[in-house]
Amino acid sequence: MSRINSPAELESFRKEILSQRDPDKPCITLCSGSACLATGSGKVFAALEQEIEKQGITAEVSFRTTGCHGFCEQGPIVVIYPQGICYLKVQPEDIAEIISATIKEQKIVERLLYVDPNTGEKSSLEEDIPFYKHQQRLVLGANRKIDPKSLEDYLAVEGYQALAKTLFEMTPEQVVGEVKDAKLRGRGGAGFPSGVKWDFARNAPGDQKYVVVNCDEGDPGAYMDRSVMEGNPFAVLEGLMIGAYAIGANEGYVYVRQEYPLAVSNLAIAIEKAEKYGLLGKDILGSGFDFTVKVHRGAGAFICGEETSLLNSLEGKPGEPNARPPFPATKGLWGKPTNINNVETWANIPLVINKGADFFSAIGTENSKGTKIFSLVGKVNNTGLVEVPMGASLRDIIFKIGGGVPDGKQFKAVQTGGPSGGCLPENLLDTKVDFDELTKAGAMMGSGGMIVMDEDTCLVDIARYFLEFLSDESCGKCTPCREGIRQMLKILTNMTNGLGQEGDIELLQELAETTKGSSMCALGKTAPNPVLSTLKHFRHEYEAHINHQKCPALACKELIAFYIDPDKCKGCGACLRKCPADAITGEKKKIHVVDQGKCTRCKGCFEACPAAFDAVRILSGEPVPVAVPEEV
Amino acid sequence: MVNLTIDGKQITVSKKATIYEAAKEAGVHIPVLCYAKKLLPYGACRICLVEVEQMKGRLIPSCTTPVTEGMVVNSISDEIRKVRKTVLEFLLVNHVVECPVCDKGGECDLQDLTYEYEVVTNRFEGEKFDLPTDEINPLIERNMNRCVLCGKCVRVCDEIVGYGSYSFINRGFETKIATAFDRGLNCEFCGQCVSMCPVGAILPRPFKFKARPWQLKEVDSVCGYCGNGCTVTFGTKDNEVQTIRFNDKNGVNDGNLCIRGRFGISYVNSDKRLTRPLVRRNGHLTETSWDDAIQVAVAGLKAAGDKLGVISGARLTNEELFLVKQLAKTLGTENLDHSGGECYKGVTEGLKETLGIQASTGTFPQVEHCDAILSIRSDFYETHPVFGMVVNQAVRNNEAKLTVIADKRGKFTKLPNARTLLHKPGLELNILNAICSVLLDEGLAKTDGIEGLNELKDALKDYSADAVAAATGVGADAIKQAARELAQADNAAILLAYGLPYTAYSKELGTAAANLALLTGIAGRPGSGLYLCGEKANSQGAVDLSILPGEKGLGAQQMLAAAGTGELKALYLIGEDPLTSYPDRALVEKALEASFLVVQDLFLSPTAQKADVVFPATSFAEKDGTFTNAERRIQRLRVGITPPGEARTDFAILQQLIQEFGGQAPATSAEAFAALAAETPGYEMVSLEMLGPQGYVWGGDILQPESKKLLPVAGAVAVDGDYQLLVGSSLYHSGTVSTGAKGPMAVVSEPYIELGREDAAALKLVDGDLLKLKAAAGEIQAKVKVDRRLPKGVLFTPYHFSQLELNRIYRGQAAIAVEPVKQ
Repeated sequence: MSRINSPAELESFRKEILSQRDPDKPCITLCSGSACLATGSGKVFAALEQEIEKQGITAEVSFRTTGCHGFCEQGPIVVIYPQGICYLKVQPEDIAEIISATIKEQKIVERLLYVDPNTGEKSSLEEDIPFYKHQQRLVLGANRKIDPKSLEDYLAVEGYQALAKTLFEMTPEQVVGEVKDAKLRGRGGAGFPSGVKWDFARNAPGDQKYVVVNCDEGDPGAYMDRSVMEGNPFAVLEGLMIGAYAIGANEGYVYVRQEYPLAVSNLAIAIEKAEKYGLLGKDILGSGFDFTVKVHRGAGAFICGEETSLLNSLEGKPGEPNARPPFPATKGLWGKPTNINNVETWANIPLVINKGADFFSAIGTENSKGTKIFSLVGKVNNTGLVEVPMGASLRDIIFKIGGGVPDGKQFKAVQTGGPSGGCLPENLLDTKVDFDELTKAGAMMGSGGMIVMDEDTCLVDIARYFLEFLSDESCGKCTPCREGIRQMLKILTNMTNGLGQEGDIELLQELAETTKGSSMCALGKTAPNPVLSTLKHFRHEYEAHINHQKCPALACKELIAFYIDPDKCKGCGACLRKCPADAITGEKKKIHVVDQGKCTRCKGCFEACPAAFDAVRILSGEPVPVAVPEEV
Repeated sequence: MVNLTIDGKQITVSKKATIYEAAKEAGVHIPVLCYAKKLLPYGACRICLVEVEQMKGRLIPSCTTPVTEGMVVNSISDEIRKVRKTVLEFLLVNHVVECPVCDKGGECDLQDLTYEYEVVTNRFEGEKFDLPTDEINPLIERNMNRCVLCGKCVRVCDEIVGYGSYSFINRGFETKIATAFDRGLNCEFCGQCVSMCPVGAILPRPFKFKARPWQLKEVDSVCGYCGNGCTVTFGTKDNEVQTIRFNDKNGVNDGNLCIRGRFGISYVNSDKRLTRPLVRRNGHLTETSWDDAIQVAVAGLKAAGDKLGVISGARLTNEELFLVKQLAKTLGTENLDHSGGECYKGVTEGLKETLGIQASTGTFPQVEHCDAILSIRSDFYETHPVFGMVVNQAVRNNEAKLTVIADKRGKFTKLPNARTLLHKPGLELNILNAICSVLLDEGLAKTDGIEGLNELKDALKDYSADAVAAATGVGADAIKQAARELAQADNAAILLAYGLPYTAYSKELGTAAANLALLTGIAGRPGSGLYLCGEKANSQGAVDLSILPGEKGLGAQQMLAAAGTGELKALYLIGEDPLTSYPDRALVEKALEASFLVVQDLFLSPTAQKADVVFPATSFAEKDGTFTNAERRIQRLRVGITPPGEARTDFAILQQLIQEFGGQAPATSAEAFAALAAETPGYEMVSLEMLGPQGYVWGGDILQPESKKLLPVAGAVAVDGDYQLLVGSSLYHSGTVSTGAKGPMAVVSEPYIELGREDAAALKLVDGDLLKLKAAAGEIQAKVKVDRRLPKGVLFTPYHFSQLELNRIYRGQAAIAVEPVKQ
């Protein structure tokens, strides 16, 4: 197939592709997203290729590597269609059995199935796994169906249908109107109505305009955009082109983190293929619309996710924000009107066009429509990417989909919105997750990071951790962000080191308000959120750190001591053998004693002490009793 | 216009104004650190935060936020005060507090704000910066431990100077302002960054430990170097100009200066200045009294009868030039001239014969709003750097399309999207003709009311874009495109600088530029302009006052020739060093040898050393009077210091000489101005009182041509030879006097021969090698400087240095055929 010159040619090509695919033919898909690649998907791929040939079923089975399925905790993931049998944590040595049993004999390999950690129940089909069952995967769904390197695969799932519709059946005004009516809000963090933003750029005077994809996802632990870009680059490009048509741009840029090599290479392949088929470049689909796109790799600065910094970086300048106004919509890249949206926002566009504004706006809450992808991580059983309708409760996401907190620990807090989001406590778990409700609760949607914390997490230390990250990432342009974050970090570090002083909380509060109210860009304006939200919901932890040098979560190393309870110690020596610092003295059948001067608080003894004895205690905020190594 | 309320005051301001600007207009003080009037809004320091009723819940940076209708602003409140104080505490956490030894002490914005906000203690502490001071260059010291990261240096260097020396590197607390690869500063040394720095992070090194700001007396005057006419403010103490102070309230330069203006002042306090008159006795110049020197001079001049000539420099004030003219009249001679290369003929003859005027038609600020700019020669930035900065801003802020007709690359050709018509040396005329021919061919020319169209059309037959392209090495399309842009621009400018090293085709270039200005409608159109800019501070004044040969008089070159043959018996040279700077050294040598020679100068120049009488004169910093700059702006000089020793102003010397010869001279400079205004066209209505801080532009913002006559100009023929030497100006120097100033000499201390990499490789030359250039008339030698801006076979040398004796081979040619010989 060569260039596609009209919507009719596009449809006939699509039919041709579909006609060559037998829906009943077994198809093995292997997740090849970054997470699964990290857990060995590459080796599984080699084994599958080899085994398919070895067992002589090359003709009977099709085999496809796909983008990220989202259930990253359990990778590498193999799903076998048409049934949708889902095998988790698949290793190369499992392949022979999968082929011989499941493909050849229609038998399930039980040991590779999902087991619910709470009920012990097994699920053989992907759709039955609770992690997937409660999601609505409108954007991420295609990831597991297509090979991100295959334009044919994308066409097979209605790819470019929205573009064809846009170019041939809609005026730019109608496209903007559709996006406005859909009430799609930007997925990058601020939640600005996308249609309104497009309209600004559309109406801004100027012949030369640009559209930009923001794929500079920098929140620690968040990788929604990465997975979409790696797994379905065509959808992002299609959305981008629709946006370009709507605002009157013929050039686009994709700004991708240097740290996302797979996203970059899949994107490059997608661009090359789309160009080959005339789905990028001059006179796309014979519509007269021209569009070219360039990929720019960011050099690894969190701040470049902020749109004006990103544009500066794209121009080759230091990645620092500009004062707004002027907004990029009027004065963006090279001073021209520019519309910049995040990956997930662009990926939603084909959906909005294909299914219509009514379909889209029927999903979600009053002011937040559609679905949102979250990166669910931390102390939760099912970590991975979760796509739910706006308005799902935190509780449903963490417990129904996420399977709750592992090891029977107590849930303590969830941080939403990335490093500058907020920590919400248990009593806010029924908060509906949408742009406004999260903000109201003192957190934010951000780009979709969601970090679950259990009872062992110290919230003062968490605030310190995020501020350390933000202090490193503050670009240094404006004074309050550059120095305010550093000063807050200093106070928090002191607290976690037991050096907190009276008045620290008040000073922190003032610093947080000043930094929030006077910084230049969103980084500084939101950087105090971890402090403010933990102060609001977990103030007692701060007070304990300052007033009693006590870490209630027993997490701050400088504030805890390991003590062997003489009443419980059986003198087994397990702790002594484990201690790397020679801090424990004792003999067989004698009570063991920790030398506090030598102890590095590695927690080794605590973990080594047999559960039956449970003799090692962690103390905080209280004196360590003097113990004598006497006979048990 | 927009109405808003600031602190209860209702005001109406332009809708483009920011809150800060509106407040300033309303007389409300808002503190700033990173804001500067001439730079784009930045908003980094967060000192200027205010409250806006319509934007509750956060503080608004007043310096970046535009006003909107009905806005209600509070510039101060307890909350604002608290936040500003916290921001100051933040800045002081790592700022190294060295106020007692910091040169900025007393005029430091951070110090002043700390005082204003009573930041007595600091609740915060942290590491202090510990960065090495950059003092590799002798002019600008950078102590980044004092930096508050306002970014003004970065921005002024980028936005105004267009050089881009600085950038922010690293991030967060590690952020600092650095040069490329964090090396020592190596740039144009204009010192704009020095003038912008709100703290003591960037300081002028020559001024270190010289004075506290409050010890300085400030005197507003005009820079004595080039025709740009930048206003300067002297900071004087102990009868020395210690430094040039930042002042953006006067003049046309917005506080911008170049290296010469900012760091080139030291020659006025040089110990090499002449302090007593000298008279040649027994073959030696010996110090004598004024009475004696005057008597010897008068006797010598009288002895010559009417066989004498007067040649003046173009750095005398209008008032002094007026006396020069009066003296010539008193002496009964029409042999009067300035600028020996007759380089001004583009104005006095080229423009005169076409447009009927003898000056630029527009003013500099209008160029910032031009859409298309044509610079004839890349050297324009070198001769007129501060006007060049206006061009930078037009290109950057207004996306002006800049075309440079150039025999070498330069600052202009590096500007964003600049189109360089890089031609073989000496062929500027051909390209100007080609542009005119494109305008006519494509029907783009504005021909209403213009004379000489048919003659020009005929003459341009041989100058089609294609023909000229082939002859000059420039692309035909580029020529056509340049023509179209100039024709289609609403506002356009044509720039051409003249000066001693640019003698060749001076009249023809003026005529060709005028033809183009007529055909594009640039001449006389508001917003557009044809700029012929003189090299010296009062070049335009000299033309306006007609310091030119009378009908029967001889021009400078002719006077020298006549003196050489004995036709003239005496020469009176005022502020000129022909032996160094005039073309054709042999001619000058012969003239100086043969005649009775009176030289009036600051230094014992090579010319003065040949004199029979030497009068010690005064520098621009020691006198009052007026200069007229290259855009016809008349501005006042004021006395900053008193002259050294017995040196006298040119005005006083001329006054006495006129009296000795029985003439009547005005008693004061003010009287002289009134007298010259009365008889100088364009000056008739001007009085000294009219010269405000921005001076007075005679003829108005747009000087209308008095005629519109096209005159055919024959093109030039390329110079033969494998190697051709171009002569010109270096950015760091101006004329010969800057070679007596420490600043310019610190950067370029000796003559050099510049050549491109390709030639350097072929000739096996590296920087610093000694190279001899043999030409028909003689040879010169100097150290080699290898650069990237020269095309193959083209060499360049600046003309400022007497020791080079460049005029042994430079006789006014557009390019000199030379043979390079490695020494």
